[in-house]
Amino acid sequence: MTLLTPFSKVPELNTATILLVEIEEQLQSKLADVIVHYENEFNVNVRLARKLPLPVENKESRPRIDLIVFIVNLLSERSLQSVESSLNHIHSDYFLGKVCFLVTDARCGSYTQDRLASVRKLAASHQCPVICAEHRTADGIHAAAARLLSILKMSAGMSPIPTTALYLSTLTRCSATSDLEED
Amino acid sequence: MAELSNPIGLAPDQSGEADSTVSSASNRSLRLAEKEKKKSEADPFGLAVKYLSRVEAGTVVRGNDELERSLVVVETVALSNGLHPDVIRMLLDMALSLNAGTANCTRVLKFLIPATVVPQEAIVRGVSWLCVGKMPMNAQVFFVRWVLTVFDLIDCKDHLRSIYGFIFSFVTEENLCPFICHLLYLLTMREHVHPYRVRKLLDIQAKMGRQPFLTQLLALYKVFRPDLVTVSVPSRVRTGFKNYNAPWKVSLSAVQRKNKGAVLDEQSLSLDVKEKPLSRKRKLHHLEIPPLSSVFDSNSKGKVFGLQELRSFKQLLENIDNIELPAQMGSLLGSALSLHYLDCVQDESAFLRLNFWLGHSLQEEFLLCPVDGSSDNTSEACRFLSTILSSQQFLQESFSSTESFLYKFLSVWDGCLLRPQILDLLSDIPLMPSFYMRKLLFEPLKQLYFTSTVFFKCSVIECLNNMLVKWLTWHSVSVVKGGLDISLNSNSTMAMSLSGFMDSVMELVRFVGLLASEGLRLENCHVLLLNQTLAFYETVCDMFLKFSLPLIIMLPAGVFYPALFATESVSVDRLGYIMYRYRKNLTLAKRQEKQREQTFHISRNTYKEFNRNLQAMVNSMWNSSWCLPGSDLEIDKDLIALSKVAEPWCRFDLIHHPALFSYAIEFHQKAISLVTSSSYSPPSLVFAQGYNELLLDTQLDVTSQYHVEDHLTMLSLTLQAVHLLSFCCENTLDERMLHFALQTSLSVLTRESHRPLHIVGTRT
Repeated sequence: MTLLTPFSKVPELNTATILLVEIEEQLQSKLADVIVHYENEFNVNVRLARKLPLPVENKESRPRIDLIVFIVNLLSERSLQSVESSLNHIHSDYFLGKVCFLVTDARCGSYTQDRLASVRKLAASHQCPVICAEHRTADGIHAAAARLLSILKMSAGMSPIPTTALYLSTLTRCSATSDLEED
Repeated sequence: MAELSNPIGLAPDQSGEADSTVSSASNRSLRLAEKEKKKSEADPFGLAVKYLSRVEAGTVVRGNDELERSLVVVETVALSNGLHPDVIRMLLDMALSLNAGTANCTRVLKFLIPATVVPQEAIVRGVSWLCVGKMPMNAQVFFVRWVLTVFDLIDCKDHLRSIYGFIFSFVTEENLCPFICHLLYLLTMREHVHPYRVRKLLDIQAKMGRQPFLTQLLALYKVFRPDLVTVSVPSRVRTGFKNYNAPWKVSLSAVQRKNKGAVLDEQSLSLDVKEKPLSRKRKLHHLEIPPLSSVFDSNSKGKVFGLQELRSFKQLLENIDNIELPAQMGSLLGSALSLHYLDCVQDESAFLRLNFWLGHSLQEEFLLCPVDGSSDNTSEACRFLSTILSSQQFLQESFSSTESFLYKFLSVWDGCLLRPQILDLLSDIPLMPSFYMRKLLFEPLKQLYFTSTVFFKCSVIECLNNMLVKWLTWHSVSVVKGGLDISLNSNSTMAMSLSGFMDSVMELVRFVGLLASEGLRLENCHVLLLNQTLAFYETVCDMFLKFSLPLIIMLPAGVFYPALFATESVSVDRLGYIMYRYRKNLTLAKRQEKQREQTFHISRNTYKEFNRNLQAMVNSMWNSSWCLPGSDLEIDKDLIALSKVAEPWCRFDLIHHPALFSYAIEFHQKAISLVTSSSYSPPSLVFAQGYNELLLDTQLDVTSQYHVEDHLTMLSLTLQAVHLLSFCCENTLDERMLHFALQTSLSVLTRESHRPLHIVGTRT
């Protein structure tokens, strides 16, 4: 099994690469569009995938991936399952602040709440942040893109101040939510 | 009223009476009476009504032509113009008594269309006929359906409510149950909810299953008395009550339309018949504040007073004991008078019902319903939240339902949707124990904060600052009242001890300290963020003096040093002010501690921390040595040497501080433009004179105050003067120029010093 590793390649100059993983390919391209057109101090490459592992053929030509974003659509069970299986194809180094979960339809009926709870649990056990997105409005996508970019900036080491992805992840990682559910 | 609305109803009776009483009067009136009589005889409707009112038990129905003819006459009039209240009373009585037979009972009910209102006595009598139990089931059902249809037209309902128990007894009838439940739903008041009624309904529910009408009624009972109804009522009852008005709908609305003008003048009934059965349901997926309307009729005499009738504050005061809460508690939010009422009402059920409604709307319509991309939806929610917000601000407390909604919403928030409203609502959150605060508030906020833009960070800090100010204000008010235990929210049961309160405040300040110092680092000491943070610490440093909370928390190094070495004068100035206020608070605390052996105790560490910070400030600005060994900020000499900055230790003193540089430049520009004319005097004299003038202008006496109190004040004053002078001396201005420069600088300075911007002393 080929693992995706964060530190095996030399980064390109002034360039950060973000990988959006979504099985249903609904939000992916819209989000990618916004990210690419967002004004940035550095170049941003967006890569799209339906699931991991990535195909072996262009492994060599693929740039170093600085941030993996798993997009989970809470309305579909399949989306969560595919993310769970994809997680196995990532090297553990990625979990030092280079993986993030993006959740859509978080406020859509009570039955998505259970699924949200399991996403949170998954994220908490992998020490990753969970970001909720209002993917139905342009504003929502824009906001989500901005937040992803701010994480990417840290995880790709583009930030001018001395900080690391690991450090940021100690501040943003999702905590276990068992106590929250009581209220 | 009778005279007004009545060419058809009372006329025959009146003329009849006139007939007998006036008989002895003059000829002329006799003639008139005769005329009247003729007229009434010519009026078939009058005759028909007269006949029908005389129908007694045992009248032959089959083949009775006169009865048939009368019914037809009345029917046509009823369907075209509606019937007068008295006629309705009479006909209803006749029909339900079955004097004209069973078949005619439903027939009469079918054309019982009121022209104006339905007298409640008629309904009460009808219910009594129901109790007699002679009527066949379908007639009973038909009668209740008719009552439901004309419910809004019943003139007042207090008698009807007083026979609530009788009506309730019919719920056991399986066929009647849905309709009776609906009627009860419309009639129920708080005092009607009793344990035995709840039990009965639960029994029926066990027998019939979860019928929507039963659930709906139980839900209403639960709103009134949550202590009695312990079963969980599903929050989403889609199908409440059905429409029963089919047989009357068309003719009723036609008659109503016809009479609408006249009726509206007379009384303020809502006559939109079509919407009537829906009036107590909300549209799904719509957040809106319903209009004020009463459950009961607006013109029930004297006893109760609907909120929608209030027009002035005076009226509210006069009727404050007789006010009836509206049908939908949400409508309270829309009107200022209702909020006044809500503010002083002691009845807990008002808040309970309001919270129930609000919680339900927020949860169902907003939290669990995604925006489908239309801006409509969002703007509706925006308006709704703004209304809640303004109501909360009016009442100066938050609703517990918005609070729990916010905790849920924070965990799914994208940090962008309705940001201003959400953050404003958040700042209204009342104090809670520190443990819950960490779990419910700080965790989700932290995750949002660190992944969002600098502007979001600023607004979060601002929101938390507002929150702190509100908490402290509550505290200072409750201290004035003399209670040590603070129950912050009048309708929450949570009372908090002073130590619990201090714990929570400490937790909040500590949390903002973390957000601010890390945020400043990540955002490279963004000016806006720094200033929001300093605004927060302006609140924190004054907690003891301003809000009499015996707690002083120093600002963390992560905020102190960025402010001290900031490149804009606002931040440096704010820091000076904050240090100055800290000192005031600490000296007062120390004095009180010595004098009165106060129970509270500010830890020595706080004093030490303050002294260390002050030392760092003085060292860097005054003594030109900002990186002394042993202080917080210690950098290896060789490392600094690598930067090749000349005299690095004095880069942050008064003369060279980058934040103050802008003043020097401004002065320099002005000076050059003013060099044209002047008299000559030696520079040292100018210096002394100028400096004294400056001090006089800011109303500080050099000799008495310099060594005593306001070291910081003096510091920042001298800072200005020395800075400017040194700038002049250092540069290549000739003496003549210097003189002018000084004069202008003084004028600039005195003008500037009245702004609360950069001289600490002027704020006191």
